[in-house]
Amino acid sequence: MSTIIEINRLSIQFKGSEQKNLDELSFEVLKGEKFGVFGPNGAGKTTLISILCGLVVPDSGSVTYSIYQTQEKVNQVLGEIGYVPQEYAFYPELSPVQNLEYFGALYKIPKIERKERIAELLKVLGLQSVANKKINTFSGGMKRRVNLAIGIINNPKILFLDEPTVGVDVQSKMAIMHYLEGLNKQGTTIIYTSHHLKEAEEFCDRILLMDHGKMIALDRLQSLLIEHNEVDLESFFIKLTGSEYRD
Amino acid sequence: MNKLLATLKKEALVVLHDKVGLLLMYVMPIVLVFIITLVNDSSFRMVSGNEISILVVNDDQGDCGDSLIALLKNSGSFKLTVATKMSSAEMQQSLLDDNRLLAIRIPRNFSLQLNRKASGVTDLMLKEFGVKDSIVEQPKTVAQSLVLYYDPVLQENYRFSISNSIYSYLGALENGMIMQNLYAEMGYENVPEEIRTKLSSERVMISEVAASSSGKSPIPNATQHNVPAWSIFAMFFMVVSLGGNIVKERLNGTFVRLRTIPSSFSLVLYSKMLVYLLVAMSQLVTIGLIGMFIFPLIDLPKLELPSNVGAILVVALLSGMAAVSYAVTIGVFSKTQEQANGFGAISIIIFAAIGGIWVPSFAMPAYLQSIGQVSPLHWCLNGFYVLFLKGGAWKELQSTLIFLGLFIAGCQLLVYLKLKAQRYW
Repeated sequence: MSTIIEINRLSIQFKGSEQKNLDELSFEVLKGEKFGVFGPNGAGKTTLISILCGLVVPDSGSVTYSIYQTQEKVNQVLGEIGYVPQEYAFYPELSPVQNLEYFGALYKIPKIERKERIAELLKVLGLQSVANKKINTFSGGMKRRVNLAIGIINNPKILFLDEPTVGVDVQSKMAIMHYLEGLNKQGTTIIYTSHHLKEAEEFCDRILLMDHGKMIALDRLQSLLIEHNEVDLESFFIKLTGSEYRD
Repeated sequence: MNKLLATLKKEALVVLHDKVGLLLMYVMPIVLVFIITLVNDSSFRMVSGNEISILVVNDDQGDCGDSLIALLKNSGSFKLTVATKMSSAEMQQSLLDDNRLLAIRIPRNFSLQLNRKASGVTDLMLKEFGVKDSIVEQPKTVAQSLVLYYDPVLQENYRFSISNSIYSYLGALENGMIMQNLYAEMGYENVPEEIRTKLSSERVMISEVAASSSGKSPIPNATQHNVPAWSIFAMFFMVVSLGGNIVKERLNGTFVRLRTIPSSFSLVLYSKMLVYLLVAMSQLVTIGLIGMFIFPLIDLPKLELPSNVGAILVVALLSGMAAVSYAVTIGVFSKTQEQANGFGAISIIIFAAIGGIWVPSFAMPAYLQSIGQVSPLHWCLNGFYVLFLKGGAWKELQSTLIFLGLFIAGCQLLVYLKLKAQRYW
C-alpha cells in the first residue's frame, strides 16, 4: 500500500503547557488502512487529529497528503477529508435530513447526488424512520449515527474518527463499526481513536500508541503483542503507559 | 451561491425552531409596546387632553366657591363631582375607594378672603389714581387655604400641573372681582358686558409648535416614542438568540466541523448575520404595522411615518446591524451559553435604561445622560427621534450615523480578532 499521509517531526507546545503536547512525531498512514491512534488522556491524540485536519498549526514539522498526487497540504485536500468529532457537531434543532442537506451543500455535492447520498446514509445507519424529526429528541446512539453520517456525506477518501462510539448502546456500536468496515472496503482510509480497546483490537490494521506527545509503539497489533509478549491490546496498553491515573 | 443559499436556509430554520428566541424577539416586545404605549398615552391624556375626575367639596359661605367650580367645569379639563359636608377623612377615603385621583376642599371663608383681597387691591389702585384719599383697613381674618387631596400614586409632575391650573383659575377669579370692585367704586353696578367679553375672548393664546426640520409639524405622542423605542429594544434582545446560538455552535463542535469543510467560515458567519438582520427588519416592520393599524383600533394614536424613506431605511439597517454585531460579539466572547444569555440580556436592559428607551434621556440627571451616550440603543433611538419627531433631516442624523457606524465597525473588528486568534479565519 502506498502512503496517503506523511507526518514528519511534528511538534507543538500549547500556551500554559509544561511539556510538549506533540514531540517530534513522525509516521506514515497507508492508503486504505484502518489506523488506530491510542494513548491515555493527555497523550496528544486529539492534538494530532486536529493538526491532521488542519484545525491546529504545529510549531514545527509537516503533514503531507498524497490524495491526488504527492505533496498536498491539508487545505488543498479538505474536500476529500471526513471528520467525525467526539462532540455532537450538528444542529440538534434540525432533522438529520436538514443537517445532511446543509453540510452536503457546503461540500458542493450536486443536488440530485446529494439526495441519493442522504437517502443511502439514512438507510444504512438506520435513521430512515426519524429522517425528518428533530435530532434533539434522539437517543445517544442515534445522535452518534447522525454525527457519523455528516462526517461521511462527502464520501471522503480519508476519514478521521474521534471516539465515534462513545456512549452508545451495543446495537448502535455494531451498526457504526459495520458501516465503517464497509466504507474501508470501498477504499476509505480510516484514522480512528477510541478508549474501547476491544473494539479497536478487532477494527484496526495498525496501531499507534502515544504517550506524553511521543510515539511509543507503531505496528500491526499481532506484531506488537508478540514483540511485547502480551495477549491483548489492553494489557499491552497498560504495560507501556502504566496504570496510574491520567486525569 | 449554492453554499450561501444553503447556509441562509439553515440559519432561517434554526431561528424558526428557536421558540424561546422567537418569544423574546417578537412576542415580548409586542406585549411591551402595547402596555407601555397604553400607560404613557393614558398619562398623557390625563394631563393634557381628557377630563380629570375631581371631587369638590364646597364649604364656602359665599359665591366665589361656586364661581371657581363653574370655571373648573367650563375649562373642559376636569370632570367634577360636587359634594358638601364631607370630612377630611371621608374625602381621603373617597379617593382610596373611588377611582378618583384628586379632591379639592374650598374653605368656609373662601369668598370672604377673595373679597377682602380684591377690595384691598381696588382701594390701593384708587388711592394711586387719586380717586380715594384713604384706605379702609380690612379686618384681619385667619387665612384658610384651598386643600388639594391626591391619590399617592399620582405623579408629582401631574399634581404640579393641576395645581397650576387651579392657580390660574383663582387668578382669573380675583381679577374679575377687582374689576367688579373698580366699577362699583365708580358707581357702576356691573362691569359692562363688552369689557367682560373683550377680557375673556381676546387673550393672548399659546401656540405650541414642535421643532422640526421638515417644515411639517410632527406629533409627539406615546406611539411616536414607543414604537421605535421598543422596536430597537426587540432588535437588541436578539442577543439571547443569536449570541446563544453562536456559543452553542462553538462549544458543540459545529464550528470546528465547519473548519474542516472546504468552505469559508466567514460565509457561515455573514449568512448568520444576514438572517438576523432580516429578523431585525421584520421586528421593526411588525411593531411599525401594529402602530399604524392596530393602535388606532384600541384608541391609541396612529403611528405617522416620516416622509424621508431613504433615511428610515438607513437608520433601520444601521440599527439592525448594530444589534446583530453586538449579539455576535457577545456570542464570540462568551465562554458558556448561560454567560451569553445572562450577560447579553442584562447588558441590553442596562443599555435600554440609560439609552432612554424607558424614560426619555432628557428626564435623566446630566451625568446619566453622559453615560447614556455609550449605549448603542441611545443612538438608534436618537436616529428614530430625528425621523419620527423632528422631521428627519440628514444633517441631524449625522452624529447618529457616525456613532452607529463606529459601533458596528468596532464590534466586527473585535469578532474578527477573536476568531482569528482561534484560527476560524
